[in-house]
Amino acid sequence: MSPDIRDEAVEMWFGPQHVSAHGWAAKLTVVGDFIVECDPHAGYFHRSAEKVLEFRTFKQGPLVLERMCMLEAFLAEYPYISAVEQIAGVEVPERAKVLRTIMMEASRIHSLQFWWGQFSAELGLFAMTLWPWVDREFFLDTFEELTGSRHAVSFSTPGGVRYDFNEKVLKKLDRALQRLEQHLPKFKDMLLRSPTFRMRTKGIALFSYEDALRWGLSGPNIKACGVPMDLRKDWPDLNLAYDLVDWEVPVVDNPDHPGQSDAYDRMVQRFLEVETSINIIRQLLPQIPEGPIVDPKARAKTNRLPAGEAYGRVEGTRGVTTVWLKTTEKAQTPYRAKIRGPCFASYYSLKHLVPGSTFADFIVVFGSLDPYPGWWDR
Amino acid sequence: MNALLLQLFDNIDIIGWLRGIPDWIHGIIVWVYTLAVGVFNWAWGVFVWAWNLALDNWLLLFKAIVFPGLVFVLMLIIFDVWFTRKVWGRVQARRGPFHIGKYGGLQIFADAIKLISKEIIIPRGAKRWMYRLLPSFLLLVVLTPFAFVPWTSEWVITDLSVSLVLVFAFLTAVPVISLLTGWISGSKYTLVGGFRAASNQFAAEIPLIVSSVGPALLAGSLSVLQISQAQTHLWYVVLLPVCFVTFLVSAVISIGLVPFDAPVADSEVIFGWRTELSGVYFTLTYFAEFAKQVLYSALIVALFFGGEYGVPGFPPFLNFFLKFLVVLFGMIIVTSSFYRIRQDQIVKYSWRYLLPLSMLNIIVALLVLAYVPGLAGILAGGG
Repeated sequence: MSPDIRDEAVEMWFGPQHVSAHGWAAKLTVVGDFIVECDPHAGYFHRSAEKVLEFRTFKQGPLVLERMCMLEAFLAEYPYISAVEQIAGVEVPERAKVLRTIMMEASRIHSLQFWWGQFSAELGLFAMTLWPWVDREFFLDTFEELTGSRHAVSFSTPGGVRYDFNEKVLKKLDRALQRLEQHLPKFKDMLLRSPTFRMRTKGIALFSYEDALRWGLSGPNIKACGVPMDLRKDWPDLNLAYDLVDWEVPVVDNPDHPGQSDAYDRMVQRFLEVETSINIIRQLLPQIPEGPIVDPKARAKTNRLPAGEAYGRVEGTRGVTTVWLKTTEKAQTPYRAKIRGPCFASYYSLKHLVPGSTFADFIVVFGSLDPYPGWWDR
Repeated sequence: MNALLLQLFDNIDIIGWLRGIPDWIHGIIVWVYTLAVGVFNWAWGVFVWAWNLALDNWLLLFKAIVFPGLVFVLMLIIFDVWFTRKVWGRVQARRGPFHIGKYGGLQIFADAIKLISKEIIIPRGAKRWMYRLLPSFLLLVVLTPFAFVPWTSEWVITDLSVSLVLVFAFLTAVPVISLLTGWISGSKYTLVGGFRAASNQFAAEIPLIVSSVGPALLAGSLSVLQISQAQTHLWYVVLLPVCFVTFLVSAVISIGLVPFDAPVADSEVIFGWRTELSGVYFTLTYFAEFAKQVLYSALIVALFFGGEYGVPGFPPFLNFFLKFLVVLFGMIIVTSSFYRIRQDQIVKYSWRYLLPLSMLNIIVALLVLAYVPGLAGILAGGG
C-alpha cells in the first residue's frame, strides 16, 4: 500500500454490532469502494472452552465440545470422545458405530442447510433463507425425538451412544431425507442457476489449492479446488462405519479455473456434500445391526483414565476438527485438551482474500468460507 | 458656558411639556389600537376569503384531502405495507402478519404506534436540525406527485400540461435527501448508504425518463392525465412493451427494492442511510419508500395500461385500481425473488441495457406507426 493511498483510507469496523457479524469483528481499511486491508479480530465469542474442559470429567467433556458449534453438535462432540476411547481402550459395539455415522451425516446436512440460508440472507434473498430452514426443522425434529434436544444433543458417549433408534426416529429421519431429496433440485435452481447469484459469486474470493494449504483451510473450502482431501477417506476411523458404505469424496473441478475455487464453486461443493451425506445415510439405514448400543464396561473405564495422550479427529461440516487430549494417571479430568477448529484458518484467511474486493463483497467472501465464531474462540 | 445653559432652559417650557404627556400616551394607545384592529380586520378578511374560496372549490379541497388525496394515499400506503408483508411471507414459506385484526390487517397500525412512541436517539455526531427535518421533507416530496395521478378522468386532484415532468422533478429530490440524511447522521455506514442511494438514482433516472418519453410521444402530451386519456382504443404497452419493462426495472432501482437495494442492504451497510434514524423519523422514511412504490405502480398503469380504460361496463376507478393492484403485485413478486446485486453492477447494467433498450423501443414504435396504415387512427391522441 503506497503512502498516497493511506492518506485517503478510512477505517471501518465490520462488527461486533453489525447485523451480519455475530460474535466477530473485522477492521477494514477502505479506499473508495475498495478494501485495501482486512484485520479480522477474534475474541468476541470467547467462553474459555479449553480451560473449562480441564475441570470437566471425561463424560462431561463432550457437552462442552458440542456447544462450540451448535449447528454440528453430533460432529463437534466426536473428536473428544474418540480421544477418550483411544486412551481408555474402549471397544465400541457395531450398532453404535452405525448409529453414530448416520447421525453425524444428518448433522452435516442440517448444518449445511443452515449455511445455504445464512449465505442467501447475506446476499439479500430471504426466501431462499427460509425454504431450507423449513426442511431443516424436520432434521431438528428427528434430533429431538432421538435425544430430547434440538441442538445440544449429547448423543455419543465414550464406548457407544446414549440413545437408541426406534420406529419413530427412523420414520422422522426418513421423512426429513425424503423432503430434502424432493426439494434439492429446487434449491439448486434457486441458488446455482439464479443469474443474480452468479453475478455476485462468480470470481469472488478466488484462491488456489496451494494457497488453501498454506492458510490451513480444510473441508469443503479445499475440496472445491478439485482436491479430494477428506478425513473420512484419508484417515478411516474404526469407530465409525464409513467402510460399510460405497461412496466417493465429492470434489468440484471447475474448467474455468482448474485447481482454484471461487465462492460459486464452494456453493456447488456444499451441494455435493449434502448429496454425499444423503447417499451415506441411505446406504447405512438398512445395515443397522442388532446388539447393544454402548459397551457396558465403558462407564467404569472412563471414570478415571490412565496416563496418555491421544488425538481425536473428525471431518466436520466446515473442515478438519481435532482434539488433542493429555491425561495424567488416575485423573478424573484431562491435563490439557487442545481443540483445533476448522474455522480459525478460514476466518484469518480473510486477511489474504479480502484486500482488493469491494466493500459490498466482503460479506460474500466471509460467507463463502462458512466460518462459525465458536470454532475460533476457544 | 453657564450663561448658555440658562438660556437653553429659559427657552424650554418644562411645565407645558409635562402637560402634554397624557395626550402623547393617548396618541400611542390609539395608534397601537388602530394597528391591532387593522391587522385583525385583515386576518379576518383573509379567513373569510379563504372560507369562501373553500366553499366555492369544496370539490378540489375534498379531492386534495380525502379521496384521491392525502387520506386515500395514506390508506393505500398502509395497504401496500400489509400487502407486501403478506406476499413476502407467502414467497418465503411463512404466513406474514396474522395476529392483530383480520388477516393481520391492523398489524401495520400497531407497528406504527410502536415506532412513533419509541425514544428518538440522535447520535452525537449528527446535525440535529437536519436530522429532525429531512425525513419529513422526504415524505412531503414523495407525496406531492400524487396530485397528478389520474385515478379517473374526474378523480384527479389537479393536472398541468407538464405534470409528467413535474413528477420526475419531485422524485429527483429523493436521493438528495437520502444522501443528506446519510451525511448528517454522523456514521460511516450511513454515508456509504447515502452515496449508494444517490448512485442508484444516477443509474435509474435517465432510463426511467426515456421510457416515459414513449407514451408522451404517442399521446402528444406531457400531462399524465392526457396520456392516460389517449389510450381509449389501444394500451401503449402493446406498442411499447420493452419501455414498460425498462420503466418497471428503473422504478424498482429508483425505489431501492430488493435486487437493487444496495442503499439499504442490511448485510453490508446495516440499514444504509437510515441506520441512525429512530422512532418517528424512521417511520417517515419507511412510509416514503412504500409511497414511492405505490406512486410508480399508479404511474405505470396511467402511462402503459390505459388508465381508467379496461373492461367495458366496469366503473373507471375500479378498472384503474384492479390494474394498479396487478402491477403492485408484480412489483412485489419481482422484488422477492432475486439476490441483491452490487452497486457497480446496478449502474453498469442500467446504462448498458436499460437505456439503449428503451430508446430502441421508441424508435421501433415510431417506425411501426409510420409504416402500418391505420394504426395512427386507432391512437386517439394522434402519433
